[in-house]
Amino acid sequence: MNEFLSFAVTYLPYLLKGALVTIEIAVVGVIFGSILGIFVGLGRVSKNPLLSQISRFYIWVIRGTPLLLHLFIIHFAIPSVFPSLTMPPFVSACIALSINAAAYIAEIARGAIQSIDKGQMEAARSLGLSSRQAMRRVIIPQAFRRMLPPLGNEFIALIKESSLVSTIALYDLLRTGQQIISSTYRYMEVFFLVGIIYLFLTTIMSFVVRKIENKVGAYE
Amino acid sequence: MISCENVVKSFNRLEVLKGIDLDVSAGEVVVMIGPSGSGKSTFLRCMNHLETPDSGTITINGSVVEPKESSLNKLRQDIGMVFQQFNLFPHMTVMENIIEAPVLLKKMTKDQAKKKAMELLKKVGLSEKADEYPNRLSGGQKQRVAIARALAMEPKVMLFDEPTSALDPELVGEVLAVMKQLAKEGMTMVVVTHEMGFAKDVADRVLFMDGGVIVEAGSPEDIFEHPKNERTKEFLGHLK
Repeated sequence: MNEFLSFAVTYLPYLLKGALVTIEIAVVGVIFGSILGIFVGLGRVSKNPLLSQISRFYIWVIRGTPLLLHLFIIHFAIPSVFPSLTMPPFVSACIALSINAAAYIAEIARGAIQSIDKGQMEAARSLGLSSRQAMRRVIIPQAFRRMLPPLGNEFIALIKESSLVSTIALYDLLRTGQQIISSTYRYMEVFFLVGIIYLFLTTIMSFVVRKIENKVGAYE
Repeated sequence: MISCENVVKSFNRLEVLKGIDLDVSAGEVVVMIGPSGSGKSTFLRCMNHLETPDSGTITINGSVVEPKESSLNKLRQDIGMVFQQFNLFPHMTVMENIIEAPVLLKKMTKDQAKKKAMELLKKVGLSEKADEYPNRLSGGQKQRVAIARALAMEPKVMLFDEPTSALDPELVGEVLAVMKQLAKEGMTMVVVTHEMGFAKDVADRVLFMDGGVIVEAGSPEDIFEHPKNERTKEFLGHLK
């Protein structure tokens, strides 16, 4: 036990540095994924057929193909054709995670918007609000509340899936662990620590989402 | 005030309104009765284009209602609507519900709207509920707030779509009282309801609808005491 602790103390700073990279790409993924996802979701429920078809196509392609493939396409395939689009692994990872998360968040947004009672839109319209005003003031604030629980799931999934970026030579938490193993061969200890750190990150994430839920949900 | 000419509406292949004509003059209270599925709610919803009629024209205040978003938005500001399910905005307080449209549509400043809202809440007997969220109110209170919300836009006409049908029986009276008061003040009203007592007391004219047409129209006395049409007689007979 003592021996494990001293091992942990020695290598924890390296792992935490990796965890910081994981946190950074996950936060970027959450923010840009949410922004893009909400736009795609709004496009999906739009009455404009072009917008809704583009959104539908986006969701179809991204949800239907693996994140690992998106990473490889962005980091290896595109630069092989357009060398000027070569990017550092960190940037590639952020783009791939954001694009990927957006597709799922778009479906969460669509579901939430469509779950709001039809009478809400009718009441807003009957007062003279335009459909845009009704969306912004009446539908979306209520839909946002309903988006939070599934959004929390998505954010947690994002933290875990970010471990795939270790494949494009980005030293996130998992890859840092593998690097430590390659010089120490201490598989059990390292993966145990890596697991603990992931669990810590996802726990914090669900705690934050629950806090926001309580705050936004005051009227229910 | 409202003039409807040959209004036709179908859902899929079912013709719900088979060419309806109706003129409502300013200050008049028209009550529509009839069995469920007779088209009375659909007709009411056509008046402010929540349902778009397939054909026919609806004229409000002399201007023909065109199914164009911008003109509809303008028009609907003058037509208040009260729904069976209240449809208050649950994420806003009572006060916010009432001032939302007048402030957003720039009819009033926020202070003016608040002052007006307090007057309206007083009128519907809910002054002390201004800062509550709708889920803390009873059905009758919700519906009275919904009426206040519609009145905040200072509409020229009020449409009521079965305003008491979702209420517990003991709460119906408080809503009807507000509506009676409104009628007394000279508001032009079109009301779809199953409350025959209200129709008898308040209506200037009662329409009996069945099968997508107005079967019979007349004063409350004509309809309730001396119905001429067989279907009217049958419908009223069921109620007794």
